[in-house]
Amino acid sequence: MLTSILIYIFFLASAPLFIGVVNKLKSRLTGRTGPSLFQPYYDLRRLLRKETIYATSASIISRIAPVIGFVSLLFAGMILPIGFYKPLISFDGDIILFAYLFGLARFFQILGAMDIGSSFEGMGAAREATFAVFAEPIYFFTLGSLAFIFGCTSMYEIFHSISLNNPAFLVFISVASISVFFLMITETSRMPVDDPNTHLELTMIHEVMILDNSGLDLFLYQYTSYLKILIYATFTSNFFNPFNVQNHYLGFSIYIMIIFILIVNLVWIETMMGRFKLKSIPQYLLFAASIGILNILVYSFFNK
Amino acid sequence: MENVLNILFCLTLLYLGTTTRIMAYLNVFVTQGILLFVILILPLFNKFSAYTFILPVMILAVKAVLIPIFIKRKIMLELEVRKSIESDFQQFNFLLLCVFTMITVFVSANMLAKYTLIDSIPFAAAFSTIIIGLYIIIFRKKLIVHVIGFLVMENGIFLLGVSIASEMPFLIELISLLDIFVAVFLMGIAINKISSTFAVDDITGLDELKD
Repeated sequence: MLTSILIYIFFLASAPLFIGVVNKLKSRLTGRTGPSLFQPYYDLRRLLRKETIYATSASIISRIAPVIGFVSLLFAGMILPIGFYKPLISFDGDIILFAYLFGLARFFQILGAMDIGSSFEGMGAAREATFAVFAEPIYFFTLGSLAFIFGCTSMYEIFHSISLNNPAFLVFISVASISVFFLMITETSRMPVDDPNTHLELTMIHEVMILDNSGLDLFLYQYTSYLKILIYATFTSNFFNPFNVQNHYLGFSIYIMIIFILIVNLVWIETMMGRFKLKSIPQYLLFAASIGILNILVYSFFNK
Repeated sequence: MENVLNILFCLTLLYLGTTTRIMAYLNVFVTQGILLFVILILPLFNKFSAYTFILPVMILAVKAVLIPIFIKRKIMLELEVRKSIESDFQQFNFLLLCVFTMITVFVSANMLAKYTLIDSIPFAAAFSTIIIGLYIIIFRKKLIVHVIGFLVMENGIFLLGVSIASEMPFLIELISLLDIFVAVFLMGIAINKISSTFAVDDITGLDELKD
């Protein structure tokens, strides 16, 4: 239990580092020196020092929204097995809780964006909601199919039952990890779906929603988005984690390695690909969701 | 293992419903050729003889090398077709249609498998390939995309042959290959002829053809 808590604290602390490594590698790949690995930490420290200012039209919603988003992601992270360690919260059906915690965070972020009353933020909120409609089926079809295949509904047990002995399962897992990778890119607004470095409000999705926040609120939003991407990365990496390894240290180092490979993949995709048109994003998300549908279809015939 | 390859085959079909570029269509076709090659070559691992390898290697050569190069060089470059597929049907709806078709085919294949001796997964994969190939021909405007849709359909028929009878007569397979090649060749010539006469590369312009 104590090690699980320590690991989780380490996990929370390393969330900005993940983005730091991504940004550094991305700049290196495009021939720039890039910011320091710890730049996200400096940014967060700077935000903490600043004063929080609320718009005159803002109500209580925009005060509580960042906190609710942060806390729900904090709990969502506790459900996820990190490396080989048992997660802090684990019970039957926690995959549903995981999805709903994310849903709660998103709902309050959308509300918070609309609460301020700026038209830009309303537009961003509308886009976020639209993509969430297409992103949630990906989660439910993929994890649902895995829960169906392994016959358990707890995230720890699902990832625990992944073994590399059966080649068919191997394909299920790698195919499912593709769609979870799609989900990660969409939910964290990375490159092919949304450009995190864009400076035009009309093209933003995620960034436009936090335009009017400052100080502690902005700190919470930023940190939550760092945490979100690390949670999704861990989620994706769990598919490749050979849980039959009984050694904790080995399991944890394998986890770090897989995360690093994932970062390289992410950076490569972000460097190589242009942004999708907003119009064509839903069909890519539907593609990822239909991978989950295909998994269910095929598995239900494997038993026969 | 063959089931795994069939799943990958279905994935390529779903990707056909997602992408809007002709080059991606061609790449999917190449991938399908390679998958067919692996599906054919897998059962041959135990009984190694040069004779049995002729067909898979020919499949690979024709489907993954010859036809794509032919389409790329002769048709895409000479005709300078534009890069997007220009459908008159929204891509999102097309993908939805593909998914629903696949579900229907899988469920009905499962029901069929109770009464007959077919393997449900390869059969369902093959059948959905044929139907999605047909959809591509129906819902797309460009002639070049029609050719690729036809080839995808041919892949499906081939896969169906592999799934229904594990030993398809050698000659028939060769004829089917030849059939494809001639078809592509003729279509290439036809498109070239049409374009030199009418300068259209989608089917809407063909309405004006009269004798």
